[in-house]
Amino acid sequence: MLDNIKILEKSNDHLIFILDNIDLYIANSIRRAIIAEIPTLAIEDVIFYENSSSIHDEFIALRLGLIPLIAKIDEFNFRDKCECNGKGCKSCTAYFKLEAEGPKTVYSHDLKVIEDDRVIVPKNIPIIKLGRKQRLVLEAEAILGRGKDHAKWQAGIAAYKYYPEIRINYERCTLCKNCIEECPRKVLKLEDDKIVLKDVIRCNLCKACEEACPEEALNLNGNEKKLIFKIEVINKSYKPEELFIKACEILKEKAQELKKKLY
Amino acid sequence: MIIPIRCFSCGAVIADKYEEYKRRVKNGEHPAKVLDDLGIKRYCCRRMFLSQADYLDEIIEIEEYKGP
Repeated sequence: MLDNIKILEKSNDHLIFILDNIDLYIANSIRRAIIAEIPTLAIEDVIFYENSSSIHDEFIALRLGLIPLIAKIDEFNFRDKCECNGKGCKSCTAYFKLEAEGPKTVYSHDLKVIEDDRVIVPKNIPIIKLGRKQRLVLEAEAILGRGKDHAKWQAGIAAYKYYPEIRINYERCTLCKNCIEECPRKVLKLEDDKIVLKDVIRCNLCKACEEACPEEALNLNGNEKKLIFKIEVINKSYKPEELFIKACEILKEKAQELKKKLY
Repeated sequence: MIIPIRCFSCGAVIADKYEEYKRRVKNGEHPAKVLDDLGIKRYCCRRMFLSQADYLDEIIEIEEYKGP
């Protein structure tokens, strides 16, 4: 099925590649699995001992939850499937504490992990600002979850679009360059008297070039069988290519579960 | 209030880049250029920066004046 995967751009937190000869529904289920099914760690319960800041408890708890904790996900169990029966233990929970007194800005790296080398808190995310004599003391518990339960567990962003293909009738084309000028993203170029689509990633299939052509010689279309797939990491526990593979594994497990139930 | 940790629409983390953005814009750089430098490409994330108003600083000033 996947004859051809060609990587266009790759870095630590994003990946853009071409998926050739694929059906849309498969690409869409992979996309949805990346957004909603991959487990990550996020703060779920917060116990406040003191909060004399200008922001109320719930607001701070939400902001703590949204911090994408970097963790070794494989070493945690889901709390409802853990041997502690949902009470919370070391194998399903990571514990944190925070103590701060103003005037200062409290950052995510002020949140200390309690004796756990499985978790790293990302740096430089401002949680709250404290004024003079304002104090904040709290403890927090982080558990595994999935993006479909709450957006704070979302592991990554995934999107795809059709591969743009340009066709020019050179019997009619007068090389007036109207299409090159009209393109809002400037993705067309003239090379050896031929008009070529240079930047397939940035072309958004708006068809402004088609409309600009006075001879109606140009035709731009998206190929429904060839997709440009983009993955971006939110939770740095994963690399972008790991997100794709993990999503495929989750889909496979689900299909096998269904098969088992049917037979 | 204070800069939201994630973009409302796509969920990407933006709060860790806000202080650099604010400092550079204050020093006279154009916001569009700073956002490009910081790697904020999508318009959903860009509006989070452009529409941010830091009211929390003012609220803290009032509470400090009132006393605990």
